[in-house]
Amino acid sequence: MNDSSHNEVPVREGLLTRPLYPLEQVRLLGSRCKKCGEVMLGEVSSCANCAYEETEVVPLSKRGTLWTYTIIRHRPPGKYRGPDPFVPFAEGLVELPEGIRVLSVLDCPFDKLEIGMNLDLVVHRLYQNEQGNDVIAFKFKQG
Amino acid sequence: MREIAIIGAGIHKFGRFDGKSYMDIGREATINALKDAGVNWQDIQAAYVSEQFLPATSGPRILRPLGATGIPICDIEAACASGGATLKQAMLGIQAGAFDIALVLGVEKMPRGFMDPLMIFQEWQVDMGLATNPSYWAMRARRHMHEYGTTEEHIAKVAYKNHKNSVHNPNAMYQKEFSMEQILNSQLVCDPIRLLEICAPNEGAAALIICAREKASQYSANRPISIAACVHTLARYSADFRCPVDSLSANITNPGPTEVTAKMAYDQAGIGPKDVNCFEVQDTDAFCELEIYEQIGLCPFGEAGRLIDEGVTEINGKYPVNMSGGLICKGEPVGASHLGQLFELVMQLRGEAGARQVANVNTALGHVLGAGGNCAVTILKK
Repeated sequence: MNDSSHNEVPVREGLLTRPLYPLEQVRLLGSRCKKCGEVMLGEVSSCANCAYEETEVVPLSKRGTLWTYTIIRHRPPGKYRGPDPFVPFAEGLVELPEGIRVLSVLDCPFDKLEIGMNLDLVVHRLYQNEQGNDVIAFKFKQG
Repeated sequence: MREIAIIGAGIHKFGRFDGKSYMDIGREATINALKDAGVNWQDIQAAYVSEQFLPATSGPRILRPLGATGIPICDIEAACASGGATLKQAMLGIQAGAFDIALVLGVEKMPRGFMDPLMIFQEWQVDMGLATNPSYWAMRARRHMHEYGTTEEHIAKVAYKNHKNSVHNPNAMYQKEFSMEQILNSQLVCDPIRLLEICAPNEGAAALIICAREKASQYSANRPISIAACVHTLARYSADFRCPVDSLSANITNPGPTEVTAKMAYDQAGIGPKDVNCFEVQDTDAFCELEIYEQIGLCPFGEAGRLIDEGVTEINGKYPVNMSGGLICKGEPVGASHLGQLFELVMQLRGEAGARQVANVNTALGHVLGAGGNCAVTILKK
Protein backbone atom coordinates (compact mmCIF):
# COMPACT_ATOMS: atom_id res chain seq x y z
CA MET A 1 0.00 0.00 0.00
CA ASN A 2 2.81 2.42 0.83
CA ASP A 3 5.99 3.16 -1.01
CA SER A 4 8.49 0.66 0.44
CA SER A 5 10.82 3.23 2.01
CA HIS A 6 8.13 5.48 3.45
CA ASN A 7 5.17 5.03 5.75
CA GLU A 8 2.58 7.47 4.51
CA VAL A 9 -1.16 7.27 4.84
CA PRO A 10 -3.74 9.70 3.41
CA VAL A 11 -5.80 11.77 5.84
CA ARG A 12 -8.82 10.26 4.11
CA GLU A 13 -8.87 7.12 1.95
CA GLY A 14 -9.64 7.79 -1.69
CA LEU A 15 -8.74 11.46 -1.49
CA LEU A 16 -5.21 11.42 -2.95
CA THR A 17 -3.42 9.74 -5.89
CA ARG A 18 -0.91 6.95 -5.15
CA PRO A 19 1.92 6.63 -4.44
CA LEU A 20 2.07 9.22 -1.65
CA TYR A 21 5.73 9.90 -2.35
CA PRO A 22 7.20 12.17 -3.62
CA LEU A 23 4.63 14.58 -2.24
CA GLU A 24 5.07 17.00 -5.16
CA GLN A 25 3.55 14.42 -7.53
CA VAL A 26 0.47 13.66 -5.42
CA ARG A 27 -2.84 15.07 -6.61
CA LEU A 28 -6.39 15.26 -5.30
CA LEU A 29 -8.82 12.66 -6.60
CA GLY A 30 -12.34 13.21 -7.79
CA SER A 31 -15.09 10.93 -9.08
CA ARG A 32 -16.89 11.82 -12.30
CA CYS A 33 -20.40 10.46 -12.79
CA LYS A 34 -20.62 8.43 -16.01
CA LYS A 35 -24.16 9.68 -16.55
CA CYS A 36 -24.42 13.36 -15.61
CA GLY A 37 -20.71 14.22 -15.63
CA GLU A 38 -20.66 15.86 -12.21
CA VAL A 39 -17.36 15.59 -10.34
CA MET A 40 -17.31 14.92 -6.59
CA LEU A 41 -14.37 15.02 -4.16
CA GLY A 42 -12.56 11.73 -3.51
CA GLU A 43 -13.57 8.24 -4.53
CA VAL A 44 -17.33 7.83 -4.29
CA SER A 45 -19.42 4.96 -5.56
CA SER A 46 -22.69 6.75 -6.25
CA CYS A 47 -23.33 10.13 -7.86
CA ALA A 48 -24.52 12.73 -5.36
CA ASN A 49 -26.31 14.61 -8.15
CA CYS A 50 -28.23 11.88 -10.00
CA ALA A 51 -27.63 8.75 -7.84
CA TYR A 52 -26.19 6.86 -10.84
CA GLU A 53 -23.96 4.06 -9.61
CA GLU A 54 -21.08 4.24 -12.06
CA THR A 55 -18.35 6.80 -11.59
CA GLU A 56 -14.77 7.09 -12.82
CA VAL A 57 -11.92 8.29 -10.66
CA VAL A 58 -10.12 11.33 -12.05
CA PRO A 59 -7.10 13.23 -10.73
CA LEU A 60 -8.00 16.87 -10.14
CA SER A 61 -6.03 19.86 -11.40
CA LYS A 62 -3.41 21.35 -9.13
CA ARG A 63 -4.28 24.96 -9.96
CA GLY A 64 -7.54 26.61 -9.07
CA THR A 65 -9.07 29.97 -8.17
CA LEU A 66 -10.50 31.23 -4.89
CA TRP A 67 -14.31 31.32 -4.78
CA THR A 68 -14.81 32.44 -1.17
CA TYR A 69 -12.85 32.43 2.08
CA THR A 70 -12.74 33.20 5.77
CA ILE A 71 -10.08 33.38 8.46
CA ILE A 72 -10.23 31.02 11.42
CA ARG A 73 -9.27 33.13 14.44
CA HIS A 74 -9.62 30.48 17.15
CA ARG A 75 -8.26 26.98 17.49
CA PRO A 76 -10.69 24.55 15.80
CA PRO A 77 -12.35 22.13 18.22
CA GLY A 78 -11.42 18.48 18.61
CA LYS A 79 -8.13 16.91 17.55
CA TYR A 80 -7.02 19.64 15.17
CA ARG A 81 -3.55 18.67 13.86
CA GLY A 82 -2.33 22.09 12.80
CA PRO A 83 0.41 24.16 14.50
CA ASP A 84 0.53 24.15 18.29
CA PRO A 85 0.37 26.81 19.68
CA PHE A 86 -2.46 27.75 17.36
CA VAL A 87 -1.83 30.15 14.49
CA PRO A 88 -4.87 31.76 12.76
CA PHE A 89 -5.29 30.49 9.21
CA ALA A 90 -7.41 31.09 6.12
CA GLU A 91 -9.89 28.60 4.75
CA GLY A 92 -11.78 28.78 1.47
CA LEU A 93 -13.45 27.11 -1.46
CA VAL A 94 -11.06 26.57 -4.36
CA GLU A 95 -12.65 26.22 -7.79
CA LEU A 96 -10.92 23.67 -10.03
CA PRO A 97 -11.29 23.32 -13.83
CA GLU A 98 -13.07 19.96 -13.40
CA GLY A 99 -16.13 21.89 -12.18
CA ILE A 100 -15.74 21.41 -8.44
CA ARG A 101 -15.12 23.79 -5.55
CA VAL A 102 -13.06 22.13 -2.84
CA LEU A 103 -12.93 23.28 0.78
CA SER A 104 -9.32 23.74 1.82
CA VAL A 105 -6.96 25.38 4.25
CA LEU A 106 -5.25 28.28 2.44
CA ASP A 107 -1.56 29.05 2.81
CA CYS A 108 -1.66 32.75 2.01
CA PRO A 109 -1.03 36.06 3.83
CA PHE A 110 -4.43 37.38 4.94
CA ASP A 111 -4.00 40.72 3.16
CA LYS A 112 -3.43 38.91 -0.16
CA LEU A 113 -6.67 36.92 0.00
CA GLU A 114 -8.92 37.89 -2.88
CA ILE A 115 -11.79 36.11 -4.59
CA GLY A 116 -10.60 34.97 -8.04
CA MET A 117 -6.89 34.71 -7.08
CA ASN A 118 -4.86 31.73 -8.33
CA LEU A 119 -4.05 28.96 -5.89
CA ASP A 120 -1.87 25.85 -6.19
CA LEU A 121 -2.23 22.48 -4.49
CA VAL A 122 0.28 21.62 -1.77
CA VAL A 123 0.35 18.06 -0.45
CA HIS A 124 2.02 17.90 2.95
CA ARG A 125 2.65 15.88 6.10
CA LEU A 126 -0.03 16.91 8.58
CA TYR A 127 1.12 14.84 11.59
CA GLN A 128 2.51 11.48 12.62
CA ASN A 129 -0.16 9.06 13.81
CA GLU A 130 0.03 6.56 16.68
CA GLN A 131 1.36 3.85 14.35
CA GLY A 132 4.27 6.10 13.39
CA ASN A 133 2.92 6.81 9.90
CA ASP A 134 3.03 10.23 8.29
CA VAL A 135 -0.53 11.36 7.65
CA ILE A 136 -0.69 13.17 4.32
CA ALA A 137 -3.14 16.03 3.76
CA PHE A 138 -3.56 18.93 1.36
CA LYS A 139 -3.93 22.69 1.30
CA PHE A 140 -3.73 25.38 -1.38
CA LYS A 141 -1.21 28.21 -1.47
CA GLN A 142 -1.05 31.55 -3.22
CA GLY A 143 -0.17 30.88 -6.90
CA MET B 1 -56.39 16.16 5.79
CA ARG B 2 -57.12 16.89 9.46
CA GLU B 3 -56.28 20.42 10.47
CA ILE B 4 -53.94 20.71 13.45
CA ALA B 5 -54.09 23.38 16.14
CA ILE B 6 -51.80 24.53 18.92
CA ILE B 7 -53.78 24.79 22.16
CA GLY B 8 -50.91 25.28 24.61
CA ALA B 9 -47.37 26.63 24.60
CA GLY B 10 -44.72 26.65 27.31
CA ILE B 11 -41.07 27.54 27.59
CA HIS B 12 -38.07 27.18 29.86
CA LYS B 13 -35.82 30.20 29.48
CA PHE B 14 -32.80 29.72 27.17
CA GLY B 15 -29.42 30.19 28.86
CA ARG B 16 -27.08 28.33 31.21
CA PHE B 17 -28.53 26.60 34.24
CA ASP B 18 -25.92 24.92 36.41
CA GLY B 19 -27.41 22.39 38.78
CA LYS B 20 -30.45 21.82 36.59
CA SER B 21 -30.62 18.68 34.47
CA TYR B 22 -32.09 18.48 30.97
CA MET B 23 -34.89 16.51 32.65
CA ASP B 24 -35.73 19.43 34.96
CA ILE B 25 -35.58 21.89 32.07
CA GLY B 26 -37.69 19.77 29.73
CA ARG B 27 -40.28 18.96 32.38
CA GLU B 28 -40.66 22.62 33.30
CA ALA B 29 -41.46 23.62 29.70
CA THR B 30 -43.88 20.69 29.45
CA ILE B 31 -45.72 21.62 32.63
CA ASN B 32 -45.93 25.23 31.45
CA ALA B 33 -47.46 24.10 28.14
CA LEU B 34 -49.95 21.77 29.88
CA LYS B 35 -50.98 24.54 32.27
CA ASP B 36 -51.29 27.02 29.42
CA ALA B 37 -53.61 24.63 27.57
CA GLY B 38 -55.48 23.59 30.70
CA VAL B 39 -54.77 19.97 29.76
CA ASN B 40 -53.75 17.20 32.17
CA TRP B 41 -50.78 14.95 31.45
CA GLN B 42 -53.01 11.87 31.55
CA ASP B 43 -54.95 13.29 28.56
CA ILE B 44 -51.85 13.40 26.32
CA GLN B 45 -51.91 10.48 23.88
CA ALA B 46 -48.40 10.69 22.37
CA ALA B 47 -45.22 12.68 22.93
CA TYR B 48 -42.45 13.59 20.51
CA VAL B 49 -39.21 15.01 21.86
CA SER B 50 -36.68 16.99 19.85
CA GLU B 51 -33.02 17.00 20.93
CA GLN B 52 -29.59 16.50 19.41
CA PHE B 53 -27.07 16.29 22.23
CA LEU B 54 -28.87 14.24 24.87
CA PRO B 55 -28.60 10.53 25.68
CA ALA B 56 -30.91 7.74 24.50
CA THR B 57 -34.46 7.73 25.90
CA SER B 58 -34.19 11.34 26.98
CA GLY B 59 -37.88 11.86 26.20
CA PRO B 60 -39.09 9.10 28.53
CA ARG B 61 -36.65 10.18 31.24
CA ILE B 62 -38.05 13.71 31.11
CA LEU B 63 -41.71 12.78 30.90
CA ARG B 64 -42.32 9.54 32.78
CA PRO B 65 -42.04 11.23 36.18
CA LEU B 66 -45.24 13.07 35.23
CA GLY B 67 -46.95 9.68 35.13
CA ALA B 68 -46.03 6.45 33.35
CA THR B 69 -49.22 6.43 31.34
CA GLY B 70 -47.90 4.06 28.68
CA ILE B 71 -48.16 6.48 25.78
CA PRO B 72 -45.53 6.37 23.00
CA ILE B 73 -42.69 8.81 23.67
CA CYS B 74 -39.95 9.06 21.08
CA ASP B 75 -36.88 11.21 20.48
CA ILE B 76 -36.22 12.79 17.09
CA GLU B 77 -33.17 14.56 15.68
CA ALA B 78 -32.56 16.60 12.51
CA ALA B 79 -29.79 19.01 13.57
CA CYS B 80 -30.97 22.64 13.86
CA ALA B 81 -34.26 21.63 12.21
CA SER B 82 -35.00 19.00 14.89
CA GLY B 83 -37.97 20.93 16.26
CA GLY B 84 -39.63 21.08 12.84
CA ALA B 85 -39.02 17.42 12.08
CA THR B 86 -40.44 16.48 15.48
CA LEU B 87 -43.54 18.64 15.18
CA LYS B 88 -44.13 17.14 11.74
CA GLN B 89 -44.11 13.59 13.10
CA ALA B 90 -46.65 14.48 15.79
CA MET B 91 -48.86 16.16 13.19
CA LEU B 92 -48.70 13.11 10.91
CA GLY B 93 -49.83 10.91 13.79
CA ILE B 94 -52.88 13.10 14.40
CA GLN B 95 -53.59 13.38 10.69
CA ALA B 96 -53.44 9.61 10.35
CA GLY B 97 -55.97 9.30 13.14
CA ALA B 98 -53.58 7.42 15.42
CA PHE B 99 -54.26 9.91 18.22
CA ASP B 100 -55.96 13.27 18.70
CA ILE B 101 -53.69 15.18 21.05
CA ALA B 102 -49.92 15.20 21.51
CA LEU B 103 -47.08 16.92 23.31
CA VAL B 104 -44.19 18.23 21.22
CA LEU B 105 -41.18 19.09 23.35
CA GLY B 106 -37.80 20.49 22.33
CA VAL B 107 -35.07 20.36 24.94
CA GLU B 108 -31.32 20.69 25.06
CA LYS B 109 -28.46 20.99 27.51
CA MET B 110 -25.37 21.44 25.39
CA PRO B 111 -21.78 21.18 26.55
CA ARG B 112 -20.03 24.51 27.12
CA GLY B 113 -17.63 25.82 24.49
CA PHE B 114 -17.40 24.39 21.01
CA MET B 115 -19.57 21.38 20.20
CA ASP B 116 -17.69 18.10 19.72
CA PRO B 117 -16.99 18.36 15.98
CA LEU B 118 -17.31 14.58 15.51
CA MET B 119 -21.04 15.06 16.14
CA ILE B 120 -21.17 16.61 12.66
CA PHE B 121 -17.84 16.25 10.85
CA GLN B 122 -15.66 13.35 9.74
CA GLU B 123 -12.35 12.75 11.50
CA TRP B 124 -10.20 13.91 8.56
CA GLN B 125 -12.03 17.24 8.48
CA VAL B 126 -11.34 17.69 12.19
CA ASP B 127 -7.64 16.78 11.70
CA MET B 128 -7.22 19.33 8.91
CA GLY B 129 -8.97 22.22 10.70
CA LEU B 130 -12.01 22.17 8.42
CA ALA B 131 -14.43 21.47 11.27
CA THR B 132 -15.25 24.95 12.54
CA ASN B 133 -18.98 25.37 12.13
CA PRO B 134 -19.16 29.22 11.95
CA SER B 135 -16.63 29.34 9.13
CA TYR B 136 -19.12 27.83 6.67
CA TRP B 137 -21.57 30.64 7.32
CA ALA B 138 -18.75 33.18 7.16
CA MET B 139 -17.70 31.96 3.71
CA ARG B 140 -21.29 32.41 2.51
CA ALA B 141 -21.18 35.96 3.88
CA ARG B 142 -17.92 36.71 2.07
CA ARG B 143 -19.35 35.46 -1.23
CA HIS B 144 -22.55 37.49 -0.78
CA MET B 145 -20.45 40.62 -0.11
CA HIS B 146 -18.49 39.90 -3.30
CA GLU B 147 -21.54 39.32 -5.49
CA TYR B 148 -23.93 41.96 -4.16
CA GLY B 149 -21.91 44.56 -2.32
CA THR B 150 -23.29 43.60 1.08
CA THR B 151 -21.19 45.25 3.80
CA GLU B 152 -20.01 44.54 7.34
CA GLU B 153 -22.34 47.36 8.43
CA HIS B 154 -25.32 45.54 6.92
CA ILE B 155 -24.40 42.44 8.90
CA ALA B 156 -23.87 44.44 12.10
CA LYS B 157 -27.27 46.12 11.68
CA VAL B 158 -28.97 42.71 11.96
CA ALA B 159 -27.15 42.05 15.24
CA TYR B 160 -28.02 45.58 16.42
CA LYS B 161 -31.73 44.99 15.71
CA ASN B 162 -31.83 41.59 17.38
CA HIS B 163 -29.95 42.72 20.50
CA LYS B 164 -32.32 45.71 20.72
CA ASN B 165 -35.37 43.39 20.49
CA SER B 166 -33.98 40.98 23.09
CA VAL B 167 -34.16 43.60 25.85
CA HIS B 168 -37.90 42.89 26.00
CA ASN B 169 -37.63 39.08 26.01
CA PRO B 170 -37.33 37.62 29.52
CA ASN B 171 -36.67 34.16 27.99
CA ALA B 172 -33.52 35.24 26.10
CA MET B 173 -30.04 34.38 27.34
CA TYR B 174 -28.73 37.88 26.61
CA GLN B 175 -31.07 40.84 27.11
CA LYS B 176 -28.74 43.70 26.39
CA GLU B 177 -28.60 46.38 23.73
CA PHE B 178 -25.28 47.07 21.97
CA SER B 179 -24.27 50.02 19.81
CA MET B 180 -23.21 49.55 16.18
CA GLU B 181 -19.73 50.58 17.28
CA GLN B 182 -19.60 47.91 19.98
CA ILE B 183 -20.77 45.27 17.50
CA LEU B 184 -18.31 46.30 14.78
CA ASN B 185 -15.46 46.40 17.30
CA SER B 186 -16.26 43.02 18.85
CA GLN B 187 -13.77 40.24 18.26
CA LEU B 188 -13.66 38.57 14.83
CA VAL B 189 -14.65 34.91 15.09
CA CYS B 190 -14.47 33.94 11.40
CA ASP B 191 -14.08 36.95 9.09
CA PRO B 192 -16.34 38.82 8.52
CA ILE B 193 -18.44 37.45 11.42
CA ARG B 194 -17.87 38.92 14.89
CA LEU B 195 -18.57 37.77 18.42
CA LEU B 196 -21.67 39.98 18.93
CA GLU B 197 -23.05 38.72 15.61
CA ILE B 198 -23.08 35.01 16.39
CA CYS B 199 -25.23 32.70 18.50
CA ALA B 200 -24.00 30.48 21.31
CA PRO B 201 -25.09 26.90 21.97
CA ASN B 202 -26.82 26.68 25.34
CA GLU B 203 -29.69 25.13 27.32
CA GLY B 204 -33.44 25.50 27.30
CA ALA B 205 -36.74 23.94 26.30
CA ALA B 206 -40.04 24.79 24.65
CA ALA B 207 -43.20 22.73 24.37
CA LEU B 208 -46.46 22.76 22.44
CA ILE B 209 -49.71 20.92 23.02
CA ILE B 210 -51.24 20.19 19.64
CA CYS B 211 -54.49 18.48 18.70
CA ALA B 212 -56.92 17.89 15.87
CA ARG B 213 -58.49 21.31 15.37
CA GLU B 214 -62.02 19.91 15.39
CA LYS B 215 -61.39 18.68 18.95
CA ALA B 216 -59.64 21.81 20.24
CA SER B 217 -62.61 23.13 22.18
CA GLN B 218 -63.00 19.79 23.98
CA TYR B 219 -59.49 20.02 25.36
CA SER B 220 -58.83 23.70 25.95
CA ALA B 221 -60.51 27.06 26.43
CA ASN B 222 -57.63 28.72 24.53
CA ARG B 223 -58.33 30.05 21.06
CA PRO B 224 -56.71 27.42 18.82
CA ILE B 225 -53.86 28.51 16.55
CA SER B 226 -53.73 26.57 13.30
CA ILE B 227 -50.55 25.04 11.93
CA ALA B 228 -51.07 26.03 8.30
CA ALA B 229 -47.84 24.31 7.21
CA CYS B 230 -44.89 22.45 8.69
CA VAL B 231 -42.23 21.30 6.23
CA HIS B 232 -38.84 19.70 6.83
CA THR B 233 -36.38 19.10 3.97
CA LEU B 234 -32.70 18.41 3.46
CA ALA B 235 -30.59 20.35 0.94
CA ARG B 236 -30.28 18.80 -2.49
CA TYR B 237 -26.97 18.25 -4.23
CA SER B 238 -24.94 21.46 -4.49
CA ALA B 239 -27.89 23.49 -3.21
CA ASP B 240 -26.15 24.75 -0.15
CA PHE B 241 -22.74 25.14 1.39
CA ARG B 242 -23.21 24.17 5.01
CA CYS B 243 -21.11 22.02 7.32
CA PRO B 244 -19.97 19.27 6.97
CA VAL B 245 -19.91 19.68 3.17
CA ASP B 246 -16.39 19.17 1.71
CA SER B 247 -17.04 20.53 -1.79
CA LEU B 248 -19.62 22.10 -4.08
CA SER B 249 -20.33 21.78 -7.77
CA ALA B 250 -19.14 24.70 -9.88
CA ASN B 251 -21.66 23.77 -12.59
CA ILE B 252 -24.91 23.11 -10.79
CA THR B 253 -26.64 25.38 -8.31
CA ASN B 254 -29.90 23.99 -7.03
CA PRO B 255 -32.21 26.26 -5.04
CA GLY B 256 -31.14 26.32 -1.38
CA PRO B 257 -32.97 24.49 1.41
CA THR B 258 -34.55 27.64 2.85
CA GLU B 259 -35.91 28.67 -0.54
CA VAL B 260 -37.29 25.20 -1.26
CA THR B 261 -38.77 24.64 2.20
CA ALA B 262 -40.33 28.10 2.43
CA LYS B 263 -41.94 27.70 -0.98
CA MET B 264 -43.41 24.33 -0.01
CA ALA B 265 -44.72 25.84 3.23
CA TYR B 266 -46.23 28.88 1.49
CA ASP B 267 -47.90 26.58 -1.05
CA GLN B 268 -49.33 24.33 1.68
CA ALA B 269 -50.66 27.35 3.56
CA GLY B 270 -51.99 28.86 0.33
CA ILE B 271 -50.21 32.16 0.99
CA GLY B 272 -47.08 34.08 0.01
CA PRO B 273 -44.49 36.00 2.05
CA LYS B 274 -46.54 39.21 1.79
CA ASP B 275 -49.33 37.55 3.79
CA VAL B 276 -47.07 36.85 6.78
CA ASN B 277 -47.11 39.44 9.57
CA CYS B 278 -43.96 38.40 11.43
CA PHE B 279 -41.06 35.95 11.24
CA GLU B 280 -38.63 34.12 13.53
CA VAL B 281 -35.66 32.84 11.49
CA GLN B 282 -32.31 31.08 11.97
CA ASP B 283 -29.80 33.80 12.81
CA THR B 284 -26.93 31.48 13.62
CA ASP B 285 -25.03 34.59 12.74
CA ALA B 286 -26.19 38.02 11.64
CA PHE B 287 -25.29 37.45 8.00
CA CYS B 288 -27.44 34.39 7.64
CA GLU B 289 -30.51 36.38 8.65
CA LEU B 290 -29.79 38.66 5.67
CA GLU B 291 -29.50 35.73 3.32
CA ILE B 292 -32.78 34.30 4.64
CA TYR B 293 -34.64 37.57 3.84
CA GLU B 294 -33.94 36.79 0.20
CA GLN B 295 -34.60 33.07 0.43
CA ILE B 296 -38.00 33.38 2.11
CA GLY B 297 -39.07 35.99 -0.40
CA LEU B 298 -38.94 39.26 1.58
CA CYS B 299 -36.84 40.84 -1.19
CA PRO B 300 -35.14 39.84 -4.46
CA PHE B 301 -31.71 38.12 -4.24
CA GLY B 302 -28.96 40.59 -3.49
CA GLU B 303 -31.20 43.18 -1.83
CA ALA B 304 -31.07 42.06 1.81
CA GLY B 305 -28.66 44.90 2.66
CA ARG B 306 -31.19 47.43 1.44
CA LEU B 307 -33.92 45.74 3.48
CA ILE B 308 -32.03 46.08 6.75
CA ASP B 309 -31.00 49.66 5.84
CA GLU B 310 -34.65 50.58 5.36
CA GLY B 311 -35.73 49.08 8.68
CA VAL B 312 -38.22 46.75 6.97
CA THR B 313 -37.49 43.94 9.45
CA GLU B 314 -37.80 45.99 12.64
CA ILE B 315 -40.68 45.17 15.00
CA ASN B 316 -42.61 48.12 13.57
CA GLY B 317 -41.48 47.50 9.98
CA LYS B 318 -43.38 45.85 7.15
CA TYR B 319 -41.79 42.40 7.75
CA PRO B 320 -40.70 42.11 11.39
CA VAL B 321 -38.01 39.44 11.86
CA ASN B 322 -36.75 37.96 15.13
CA MET B 323 -38.83 39.99 17.54
CA SER B 324 -37.56 37.65 20.27
CA GLY B 325 -33.97 38.76 19.68
CA GLY B 326 -33.33 35.65 17.59
CA LEU B 327 -30.77 32.98 18.34
CA ILE B 328 -28.05 35.63 18.63
CA CYS B 329 -29.66 36.73 21.89
CA LYS B 330 -31.60 33.65 22.98
CA GLY B 331 -28.76 31.23 22.23
CA GLU B 332 -29.35 28.01 20.34
CA PRO B 333 -30.33 24.95 22.35
CA VAL B 334 -30.51 23.01 19.08
CA GLY B 335 -33.39 20.67 19.84
CA ALA B 336 -35.45 23.46 21.42
CA SER B 337 -34.78 26.32 19.04
CA HIS B 338 -37.61 25.88 16.52
CA LEU B 339 -40.19 25.21 19.22
CA GLY B 340 -38.86 28.30 21.00
CA GLN B 341 -39.57 30.26 17.82
CA LEU B 342 -43.08 28.83 17.70
CA PHE B 343 -43.62 29.78 21.36
CA GLU B 344 -42.75 33.37 20.43
CA LEU B 345 -45.07 33.25 17.40
CA VAL B 346 -47.95 31.88 19.50
CA MET B 347 -47.48 34.83 21.89
CA GLN B 348 -47.47 37.19 18.89
CA LEU B 349 -50.64 35.61 17.45
CA ARG B 350 -52.37 35.88 20.81
CA GLY B 351 -51.26 39.49 21.22
CA GLU B 352 -49.39 38.59 24.41
CA ALA B 353 -45.83 39.51 23.38
CA GLY B 354 -45.68 42.72 25.44
CA ALA B 355 -43.12 45.26 24.22
CA ARG B 356 -42.15 42.86 21.39
CA GLN B 357 -45.70 42.75 20.07
CA VAL B 358 -46.17 43.27 16.34
CA ALA B 359 -49.47 44.98 15.50
CA ASN B 360 -52.32 42.85 14.10
CA VAL B 361 -50.65 39.46 13.72
CA ASN B 362 -52.79 36.90 11.89
CA THR B 363 -50.08 34.80 10.24
CA ALA B 364 -46.53 34.06 11.41
CA LEU B 365 -43.60 32.01 10.13
CA GLY B 366 -40.77 30.17 11.90
CA HIS B 367 -37.62 28.96 10.10
CA VAL B 368 -34.59 26.92 11.13
CA LEU B 369 -31.57 25.74 9.13
CA GLY B 370 -28.44 23.85 10.04
CA ALA B 371 -25.98 21.02 9.61
CA GLY B 372 -26.30 19.00 6.45
CA GLY B 373 -28.73 21.57 5.03
CA ASN B 374 -31.52 20.47 7.37
CA CYS B 375 -34.29 23.05 7.12
CA ALA B 376 -37.77 23.44 8.60
CA VAL B 377 -40.44 26.08 8.06
CA THR B 378 -43.68 26.26 10.06
CA ILE B 379 -46.50 28.70 9.34
CA LEU B 380 -49.05 29.50 12.06
CA LYS B 381 -52.41 31.20 11.59
CA LYS B 382 -54.99 32.56 14.00
